Amino acid sequence: MENESHGIMWVFAGLNLIFLCCAGGLFLFLIFESYPIFKLHGFDFWLGQDWWVGEAYGALPMLYGSTLVTALACLLVLPLALAVAIFISEFLTPTSRRCVKAILELLAGVPGIVYGLLGVSFLSLWIKDVFGLLDGNTLATASCLLAIMILPTVLTLSEDAMRSVPAEYRDNALGLGLSKWQTATAVVLPQALPGIMGAVLLGIGRAMGETIAVMLVVGSLDRIPDPWFNIFSSAQTIPSKLGREAAEAIGEGTHWSALMALGLTLFIMVLLINFIGNRFLKRRSIS
Amino acid sequence: MNPATFEKGMVFFLTILTLLVSSLLLIILATVFAKGLPALHSGFLIEASENFGREGGIIYQLMGTLILMTGAVLISLPVALGSVIYQTQYLKSETGKEICRQFAQMLNATPTILFGLVGYLFFGVYLETGVSWVTGSLILAVMILPTLQVSIREAIEALPDQYKDAGMALGLSPWSQIKTIIIPQCYYGIITGVFLGLARAAGETAAIMFAATTFSGIHLPESFSDPVPTLQTHMLVLTQEAANPEALAQAWSAGLVLLSLVFFLTVMAWILRSRLKMEAEL
Repeated sequence: MENESHGIMWVFAGLNLIFLCCAGGLFLFLIFESYPIFKLHGFDFWLGQDWWVGEAYGALPMLYGSTLVTALACLLVLPLALAVAIFISEFLTPTSRRCVKAILELLAGVPGIVYGLLGVSFLSLWIKDVFGLLDGNTLATASCLLAIMILPTVLTLSEDAMRSVPAEYRDNALGLGLSKWQTATAVVLPQALPGIMGAVLLGIGRAMGETIAVMLVVGSLDRIPDPWFNIFSSAQTIPSKLGREAAEAIGEGTHWSALMALGLTLFIMVLLINFIGNRFLKRRSIS
Repeated sequence: MNPATFEKGMVFFLTILTLLVSSLLLIILATVFAKGLPALHSGFLIEASENFGREGGIIYQLMGTLILMTGAVLISLPVALGSVIYQTQYLKSETGKEICRQFAQMLNATPTILFGLVGYLFFGVYLETGVSWVTGSLILAVMILPTLQVSIREAIEALPDQYKDAGMALGLSPWSQIKTIIIPQCYYGIITGVFLGLARAAGETAAIMFAATTFSGIHLPESFSDPVPTLQTHMLVLTQEAANPEALAQAWSAGLVLLSLVFFLTVMAWILRSRLKMEAEL
C-alpha cells in the first residue's frame, strides 16, 4: 500500500519533470545550437548589418525591425486600449461588460494567418494608396496589423487592472463630490497604472513573437530603413526572418546556427519583457 | 466649455470607440465570409482540393488540422494533468512551486516559431520522426502545455478545502484522494483546458509550417512519417499567390472554416467553464 502510493508519486514527479525539461530544454537547445555562430563572429553578430547566406551574418536589421515594429504597434494600441478599458470598467453595466469581454476573448483567439490574409488583402493596399507608395508591405503595415492583433490582450488585462482597484476608492471619490468621469481618470487610472504597464508589456511580448501575419506584410528586406525613421519602407523582423529562411537551412551549417542565434535573441527579449510584465501584474494583486 | 458637457462628450466618444472595438469581431467574420463566398459550394467541406488549391474543397486539409490538434492534446493532457497534480498535491517546497510557475510562464511566452525550430530539430532530426504529423503533434503538444495546465490548476485550486479535509479524515492516501476526489471533481476544468488547447493548436501556423505540413501531394497520412496538409499551410501558400483571385477566394473560405473551428472550440470551453463555476457555488 505504502509502496504503491510511493510509486505513483514518482509517476507524477516524472510527468512534472517532462514539463520542466520541455521548458528548460528549449532554452538550452537554443544556446547549444547557436554556439557556432557566436564562436565565429562573437558579439559582432548583433552589430553586423549584412546578411548574405554563406558569407556574413549580421542581426542588426532584424533586431531593429523587430524593435521598431513592436514599439509602433504599442504606441498605436495604447491610447485606444486605455480609453476603451476605462469605459468598460467604469461605465458599463455588468452584463454588457461580460459581453464585451467575451468578444475580446474570441478576438484574441483569431488565428494569425487570418490576420495575415486581412493584412495582405486590405491593410497593405490601403497603406499603399493612402501614402502613395510603390509597395504596401512596410514597417507601418506590420505595426498596424500587430496593433489590432494585440488589442484584445492589452485591453482585457488593463480592464482587469482597473476592476481590481478597490470599490472604496471609488465610493470615497464619489462621496467627495467628484463626477464619475473624474473618479475614473483621477482615482482609478493612477491606481491601476502598474497593472496597465504589465498588460502593455505582455502585449509587447506577444507582438514581438508574432510570425505569420508580420511575415506576410513586412516586406522581408534585410536592411535598416533609410533614413532610420522611415516607417514606410520594407524591413524584416526576427520571427519573419526565421519563418522565411528556416525551411531552406533546416538542421545544420552556419546558416542554421545563425538563425538559431536570432531565435535565441528573440527568446531572451520576449522572456525579459514578460518577466517584467508579470512582476507588474503581481505587484497589483498583492497590494 | 462647461465640465458637464465635456464629460458627456467624452463618455459619448468612448461609447463609440468601444462599439467600434466590439464590432471588430463582426467585421472580421463578415469580411472572411464575403471574400470566401465565391469558393464556397455545397461540397466544400467534403471534396478534395484540385488544381493546386484553386478549385475544389478542403476535406484533407481539415482532416490534417484535426489530426494534428487531436494528437497534440492526447500527448499533452497526461503530462499537464500529472505535472499539475504533482505541483499541487505532492510538491511541498515553495521554491519548487515557484520554479514550476516560472517555467510555465516561460513556456507560455515563448514565440511559437521557436517551438517549430527547436521542435523540428529535437523531434524531427534527433528522434528521427522527420517532417511528419507526429513531429507536428509533439511540437503543438509542448506549445499547448501551459494552456492545459492553467485550466486544470484553476479547477484544482477552486476545489473547496472541505473536500480534501474529508478525504484526509477518512484516511485516504494521496493517490486515493486524487482518484476519488480531485479527478472526478475537476473533470470540467480538464475538459475546458482540452477545448482551449485544441483551439490554440488549431490556430497555430508558424510552429508547424516546416515541421509537419505539406501543401500538395499527400491526402491522408499512411504512416507515422508522412506529413499532412493543413488548413493553416493551405491558407499560407494561397495567400502568397495574392494575384490570383481564385486562390485567394479559396484561402478566405479555408479561413472561414478555420475561424469557425476555433470559435466553436472556444465557446464550448466557455459553456463548460460556466458549468464549473455553477457547481463550485452550490
